[in-house]
Amino acid sequence: MPVTTPPSGISHIWLLAQYELTKRFTNKSGMVALIAFMLVWGILLLYPIKSASEFIMQPNFKAFTEALFGPGSLQHLFEWPVAELAVFWLAALYLFPMFSIFIASDQFSSDKQRGSLRFLTLRVSRSSLFFGRFLGQMLIQFALITFTLLATIAMVMTRDISLLLPSLTTSLLVMINLVIVLLPYTAAMAVLSLYANSARQASIFAVILWAIVSIIIAIINFQFPQLNGLSMILPGSQISSMINTQGLDSLAFSPIPLMQTVVILALGNVLMKRSAL
Amino acid sequence: MILIQCDNLSKQYPNKLALDNVSLILQPGAPIALVGPNGAGKTTLFSLLCGYIQPTHGSIRILGHAPGSQALQGVLSALPQDAALDPNFTIASQLQFFAQLQGFNKTDAKQEVIRVLELVELSDSAQAKPKSLSHGMSKRVSIAQALIGAPEIVLLDEPTAGLDPANAKKIRQIVKNLAGETTFIISSHNLDELEKLCDHVIYLEKGQLQQSVSIKASQATDFITLTMQTCDMDKLHQQLLSLINVIEVKRSGDEQYVIEYHKQSGFELESQLLAVFNEQQWQYKAILKGRTLEETLFS
Repeated sequence: MPVTTPPSGISHIWLLAQYELTKRFTNKSGMVALIAFMLVWGILLLYPIKSASEFIMQPNFKAFTEALFGPGSLQHLFEWPVAELAVFWLAALYLFPMFSIFIASDQFSSDKQRGSLRFLTLRVSRSSLFFGRFLGQMLIQFALITFTLLATIAMVMTRDISLLLPSLTTSLLVMINLVIVLLPYTAAMAVLSLYANSARQASIFAVILWAIVSIIIAIINFQFPQLNGLSMILPGSQISSMINTQGLDSLAFSPIPLMQTVVILALGNVLMKRSAL
Repeated sequence: MILIQCDNLSKQYPNKLALDNVSLILQPGAPIALVGPNGAGKTTLFSLLCGYIQPTHGSIRILGHAPGSQALQGVLSALPQDAALDPNFTIASQLQFFAQLQGFNKTDAKQEVIRVLELVELSDSAQAKPKSLSHGMSKRVSIAQALIGAPEIVLLDEPTAGLDPANAKKIRQIVKNLAGETTFIISSHNLDELEKLCDHVIYLEKGQLQQSVSIKASQATDFITLTMQTCDMDKLHQQLLSLINVIEVKRSGDEQYVIEYHKQSGFELESQLLAVFNEQQWQYKAILKGRTLEETLFS
């Protein structure tokens, strides 16, 4: 038998993340979630995003958005170099976090119920397991964002091939922004799935948690308007402000989700170390 | 070198004290048995040793390290009770991943999986998914995962529970074959099985350590367990007491006596017994050198 040296914590995290990625793209339930994801994005790409270049420039659409969101609230949306990506941005900012709540909901719950985590913790530290699974889920979502962006770029090419370069540069910034937006959602799902008995229960926990925290924050803000910064504790609180930004301007909001992620991951790591398996 | 040292170990659950101030020292070597009735704290002790749960009080050192520490990765392994593999992936792919986590590269991990599945005679099921296996086969796969990388310590929680006699025998054979390189700690209700495998027995009851004994005979005295077929048991008792070197005779069942006697190099006592049987025309069922584990623990 070959002599082995135990891998470092970083190697374990990478191995676990790679395995998560493989699991997602080979497992039946993972494939069902992916098909649902592809259908939603297929419809979005075929209808609103494809026709974006036509309707986004129409004065009626601008008037409609101003009526809906307020004058000037979406003015930057009309300044995007590639119109399709502007609509993609609008949809992705809300849809990807929603998908995250479902796609990243089974980081630990099923394995904990089955006892499979017991096999793993004999070989890796709990911290490696926690961060490895989190990284794996981020890689999966990174892959999904990349696929949808590539599909959008392909569609843009069918309209105007000269838009390739602006599409690529804009997509890169969109991708970075979306990955940052998803970080705290994925971290929160890692923590919730530690306590849920199933993926579905973890998603339900997330919906309840978001609703309750939003209500509490709204009540506190109503009573104490000086505490309006409190809403920043909730993942996704910056999304509504990000819609009317583009490119590097959107990155100005990244400290909020990054800070949230650090706090949630630190908390999750402590809970993971303390929980009974 | 001390294999495992537990000092004043307690585990309190919300409604139960599962382990109560247990202190013990285990040395590496022959398999060690962990015995006790249901709810005695055996699985709790195993879970503490594996680092699945934290003790309420006390400390554990395994080869000088705390449970769950990095130094024990790949050194201590276990067959945890009620732990199952992911039903969506093949056995080979999951075991290969475990091997990679222990430091095997991809090629060596594949070889290691073949090796451990051969040990439990399940090479043919490598590409099967866990759900397609019987209970006995699943247990053997879980034992195979515990043997990846030839760990120094393997904890087996009820390894033969629910297995048919043939499979249980296979598991015992695996433990016997590997006992030289690995120290097994086995919890079971099957005393006959443990008696065949283990030298050292830890007996837990109601969360407390009742006994930590060696099955090996003491230096000065020895035992014979005598099971009779047809005879006058009271008369036999008198006859046995009159034999040379006999210290004590204890009835341990309807037809069974346990004889304690001064250690001898030859077979004087056995010869005396056969002479008595011949004289009285009594039939015996078995003359067993030593005592059963049940007798050792509960007499």
